[in-house]
Amino acid sequence: MFPKGNNTNSARSPPTAAVRDLSMPNAAEKHLAPKKGRRRLMEEALRESQEQYRMLLDGIEDYAIFMMDPEGRIVSWNVGAERIKGYRADEIIGHNFSCFFPPEDIERGRPQEVLRITAASGRHEEQGMRVRKDGSHFLANLTFTALRDPSGNLRGFSEFSQDLSESKEAEAKYRGLLEAAPDAMVVVNQAGEIVLLNLQAEKQFGYPRDELLGQKVTSIVPEGFAERLIADDLRSAEDALAQQIGTGIELIGRRKDGGEFPIEIMLSPLESAEGTLVTAAIRDIGVRKAAEKHLAQMEGRYRGLLEAAPDAMVVVNQAGEIALLNLQAEKQFGYRRDELLGQKVTNIIPEGFAERLIADDLRSAEDALAQQIGTGIELIGRRKDGGEFPIEIMLSPLESAEGTLVTAAIRDITTRRAAAADLLQKVEELKRSNEELGQFAYIASHDLQEPLRMVASYTQLLSRRYKGKLDSDADEFIAFAVDGASRMQRLIRDLLAYSRVGTKGSDLLDISSEDALRQALLNLRGAIEESGALVTHDPLPTVSADETQLIQLFQNLVGNAIKYQGPGVPKVHIAAARSSEKKWTFSVQDNGLGIDPQYFEKIFGVFQRLHKREEFAGTGIGLAICKKIVEQHGGNISVESQPGHGSTFRFALAESERKS
Amino acid sequence: MAIEVLLVEDSPGDVRLTQEAFRDANDSIHLHVASDGVEAMAFLKHEGTHVHAPRPDIILLDLNLPKMDGREVLAHIKADDSLKRIPTVVLTTSDAEADIVKCYELHANCYLKKPVQLDEFELLVKSINDFWLTKVELPPQTRGA
Repeated sequence: MFPKGNNTNSARSPPTAAVRDLSMPNAAEKHLAPKKGRRRLMEEALRESQEQYRMLLDGIEDYAIFMMDPEGRIVSWNVGAERIKGYRADEIIGHNFSCFFPPEDIERGRPQEVLRITAASGRHEEQGMRVRKDGSHFLANLTFTALRDPSGNLRGFSEFSQDLSESKEAEAKYRGLLEAAPDAMVVVNQAGEIVLLNLQAEKQFGYPRDELLGQKVTSIVPEGFAERLIADDLRSAEDALAQQIGTGIELIGRRKDGGEFPIEIMLSPLESAEGTLVTAAIRDIGVRKAAEKHLAQMEGRYRGLLEAAPDAMVVVNQAGEIALLNLQAEKQFGYRRDELLGQKVTNIIPEGFAERLIADDLRSAEDALAQQIGTGIELIGRRKDGGEFPIEIMLSPLESAEGTLVTAAIRDITTRRAAAADLLQKVEELKRSNEELGQFAYIASHDLQEPLRMVASYTQLLSRRYKGKLDSDADEFIAFAVDGASRMQRLIRDLLAYSRVGTKGSDLLDISSEDALRQALLNLRGAIEESGALVTHDPLPTVSADETQLIQLFQNLVGNAIKYQGPGVPKVHIAAARSSEKKWTFSVQDNGLGIDPQYFEKIFGVFQRLHKREEFAGTGIGLAICKKIVEQHGGNISVESQPGHGSTFRFALAESERKS
Repeated sequence: MAIEVLLVEDSPGDVRLTQEAFRDANDSIHLHVASDGVEAMAFLKHEGTHVHAPRPDIILLDLNLPKMDGREVLAHIKADDSLKRIPTVVLTTSDAEADIVKCYELHANCYLKKPVQLDEFELLVKSINDFWLTKVELPPQTRGA
């Protein structure tokens, strides 16, 4: 490309003079041109040729080209020289080329040495540091040529140089990039040989770089890579490659020690002087593979769980489409799996579900969902055949790559509903029948009272007005009628009281049990005075009770204690002891007749009496009322007794919430 | 001077007992009887067969009556300017709290429960006589038009 040892000239106006200065003393030209006319022609042709060379050299920008005289003084200068070395022609012509050398080279006489070598050998090439006008250094590739006339006299030198730093820099950048890559990078030629690799590749495969360079790529990737580079009948190498480019291929890598590991390879073509090379980015995916395997196992387990779930499970995306479902869901809704996947969930749950997944102005989809999570919602499910059935849905969020999904556990609650409805109906029936019974007892006893009042009143009137006026039989008959009527009145009155305890319910308040006892004793004043009984009590606590009922309770128990008196003076003592954290156990103790233990149960029954009417008046309902009152308060009543040794009745009441 | 008492009561047994009890208590009492609410109003307004009925000094009113019950009768009496000053004593077997409250809301002058025992009933009638017909100052007889 470039003329070497012959007489080349180039330059602009000032160098042109210098060139002429070089060519003018050309004796051969003078001798070879005997005739003036021919010589002129030749001179013109030469001038033309010189002009062409000058233009050629002048236009070259990538290389610095200039000429020197035998001492190294610069006599011509091209555009490339100006660009690379930084001097304009008028600044440098006439100066010695040694100014391009670094100071230390100048000091040891390197410029002169270069000229001496060139003069001796005719041509000299070297790489060396050079200095630009601005003082900066650069690595240059230089070629010096000695210029001699036909008779062999040294006329000067030419220098042809190139700035290497420009191409070196680019290469360094690429190398840096290659080495910094997180993946192993291997460049392979069409023959399947490794032509370049990076540090990661050395590490990954356990070879030093020089052991791999030039080796077949099959030694590190035994299968699946090299084959991809080979053209077959159907396609060119480029086509074969093109199919692989950009897609990760999972293969097996083999280390120098023989160990194998899973890799992912990404291929990309690299055009070069040697043809199309292939760059392979190789990633060790051992960790990822292990994670994937674990994930697959987990997924298998979850799927097993999902299928084993007794409820229908449906996973729905934010668009309300079914993304996953289990066997139970297929059964419950009567669809095959593929008929439901991707379908709107409204197909199987027409209302109330999809709406819950939708964000509105006030809340995000996540918030909307969060409000529903974990709470059972009762909705209607629709089967493929159109049949509807009640369901209960439990929602839970499921984070996934596609965003937040919703897992819905759907339970067919037809049976439960029916059972609940049935139970409710039974409870209602029971409640009604209980109420009716209570009402019946109340109304019956109340209404019975009316005619009975007539019977009692008129037999009494009869007795009062006609006693002694009829015969003695009549008097006796009337007496029985009066007695029967008044006993029946008491029975009815007590029955009414008994049924009232149940129907009225208890109004539990914090009340002083001592006040209640005092009121009961006041009501019993007559009986107490008559019997001369001694009634005592300890300080009594504040309890949670219905006051009227508590008064009646004390009244009945103390009344009984006085009524069933023994031989001595009746003594009754009422006490209360804390029986547990929040309970008080009351005791009403007497020194009366006592009760045979075999009757302990019986005495609390309605109309149960242990004594003849002639011995003790009463309907036998007093203790039944006591039992009912205590039970209404959530407690129970019991008795301890021995015939002839008195009795102790005990019952427990809840302590007042308020400390008194 | 005769005392006119209107007893509104459907039970003949009760009517008779009341009569007996009043006879024992005060023999100057004229006991008039209306056996239902409608008749009671007719008596008070001198309608039909009651054109010459006297204006009672006191009304004894049972609550559970046929046709028009005691509560309605009470409401009519107390809403009528010519009748409302007549003391009206409710005398009934009911001791339901609702009835008691309702009667006083309708301006009953008092509410008495019929005792179950004969002696107590006689005692009650005697106390009605002693109180309402003896001790109480009643407004002057202002015959209705």
